[in-house]
Amino acid sequence: MSLALDVAAGAVGGGTSILYAALGETISERAGIINLGTEGCMLVGALTGYAVAAMSGNPWIGVVAGAGAGGALAALHAMLVIERKASQLASGLVMLFLGLGITSLFGGSFVSRTIHAFTPIALPGLSRIPGLGKILFNHDPLTYLSFLAAPAIWWLLFRSRWGLLIRGAGERGEVLAAYGYSPKLIQYLAVVAGGALAGVGGAQLSTAYANSWFEGMTAGRGFIAVALVIFAGWDPLKAVAGAYLFGAALALSPALQARGYALNQFALDALPYVITILVLVFLSRKRLHAAPEGLIRTLANAPVR
Amino acid sequence: MSVISSALRPPKLRSAGREAGRLALAFAGALVVFGAFVIAKGANPLTVYSDMVRSTFLNSNSIAGVLVKACPLILGALAVAVPARAGLVNVGGEGQIVIGAVAAGGVALALDTHLPGGMVILLMMLAGAAAGALWAGIAGLLRLTLRVNEAISTLLLNYVAIDILLYLIYQPWKDMHGSGQPVTRQLAVAARLPLIGGTQVHFGIFIAIAATLVIWFLMERTSWGFRLRVVGGNSEAARRAGLPVSALLLSAMLVGGALAGLGGMVHYAGAELQLRAGMTANLGYIAFLASWLARHKPIRVAVAALLLASIAVAGDSLQINSALPAATVNVLMGLVLVAVMGGWGLRKKAVVA
Repeated sequence: MSLALDVAAGAVGGGTSILYAALGETISERAGIINLGTEGCMLVGALTGYAVAAMSGNPWIGVVAGAGAGGALAALHAMLVIERKASQLASGLVMLFLGLGITSLFGGSFVSRTIHAFTPIALPGLSRIPGLGKILFNHDPLTYLSFLAAPAIWWLLFRSRWGLLIRGAGERGEVLAAYGYSPKLIQYLAVVAGGALAGVGGAQLSTAYANSWFEGMTAGRGFIAVALVIFAGWDPLKAVAGAYLFGAALALSPALQARGYALNQFALDALPYVITILVLVFLSRKRLHAAPEGLIRTLANAPVR
Repeated sequence: MSVISSALRPPKLRSAGREAGRLALAFAGALVVFGAFVIAKGANPLTVYSDMVRSTFLNSNSIAGVLVKACPLILGALAVAVPARAGLVNVGGEGQIVIGAVAAGGVALALDTHLPGGMVILLMMLAGAAAGALWAGIAGLLRLTLRVNEAISTLLLNYVAIDILLYLIYQPWKDMHGSGQPVTRQLAVAARLPLIGGTQVHFGIFIAIAATLVIWFLMERTSWGFRLRVVGGNSEAARRAGLPVSALLLSAMLVGGALAGLGGMVHYAGAELQLRAGMTANLGYIAFLASWLARHKPIRVAVAALLLASIAVAGDSLQINSALPAATVNVLMGLVLVAVMGGWGLRKKAVVA
């Protein structure tokens, strides 16, 4: 199979966990709250998903549990930030520490466990389309679900009443309050939903992509997701493209190695982060204008020049 | 902003006492919750805590261990505090520490057997600080020219720095005469930071203390520090007042990066003595939290770093005495910070906005 096809298929499979986290973070940031703890939410989602899948024998139950774990950690972040007015960035990093610690504390016994993992399902008919079939239609069920999740979340944010409330909470909470809604409650829900989606992303990583659990397995994917949301201009559909770009950067290294190319592995490993920075460089100028107003106060707290 | 808040603050001693009380309460709350986690793992929390205290504070080796860990933490935390005073968020301490250690390691590998030890140490300090400043400077320049948020860019640069370290120790700098592990050869004895009084505590602790005092002086007693705080408080007002806002922001980022890079050098030349994967063990992130914990006030930042260093060292006892994974300590650290942030949040409002 050609290298391009291999990387493209790997991009979709490997980008899915980032995509879920980015979709979740989009909801959270639209409500005005940035969660650097997305990395921690992914970690607890990955372990919980794996552990519950191992114990129940059913990966779907694992995914639901992973979402719950990610949401629970995000709820703590929401409480610190919304109720106690803690710094969003510092509180997010604390969530990362909690995620690292909790998964290390409880994860040891699952490192060598095998599970009944998600398996790729070739969609009948569609998977036979030359090229596209291999890239898009030969994946695990969670990847297919993400194809639906991105437009669904776009619809939620931009076409539904809920979306109006979420975006209102992120732009002008006081207006929402004047109409009798509680911006706090909406922010809570948005942050928890974001963490739950990050948990699903983590669970996809452990129960469908890697089929294993090991400490720190998310390796910065949560941070990449946060960056992605910014340069996707807080748009779930653009986040899809971004997530697959990183998936491709991640898939490039093993695909090249499998073909015996003697490229520097460490340069390839650094690629996703470098690409993220470069994309931010090219897109940031116009993107920041699209930011929810509440978020600008957090992100752009520093003067520009 | 800070001028106003300090005018409104109650007399210093009383507020310090109250803060110490709150900190103790937060700490106690975190210990209770952490105890629940320990029980869930089938260990007895009382035994775990008494082991932690005994092996961390009643053991001269561990006290030395706390001081050794505090060196890069204090410098890394100051690296967060300086930009924070200007309103910049530097989450890149980890990468800046790594790149500082790498630069120091490069100098050492090239020169430590050719030049006198003292000169190598000086050169390593300069190289480490310069590399850290460069690493933070990238994020600073991106912020100033292209409005790339520095919290995100410094975070991502951490991973790039770690990949550079990995590349070097797996390939060009790998110790060919060693055990085959991906590490560099040991630093020549003459070029190591001198140990103090037969303990494992090294000269780096004096560097960290000196840096704390210098940064305190710069922040509180010089016009540079004052201007940084003005920019951090209200950049628009600073601009109207004719302050060179860009230059000030960049200088804050460069000084911060240099401090973290120096922290990496100190960690390498005083404690690790060779470059290896995982040598920084999240020090940069812990340092970030230390600075936020202490609201970016230099002296308090150093104290907070010392506190977190002792928690980190206490984590080693978890592993040895209670057979819990060493990273478990991250839970305790996270809980302490949750308790502190939750408890102080309302009063912090003005500072973190």
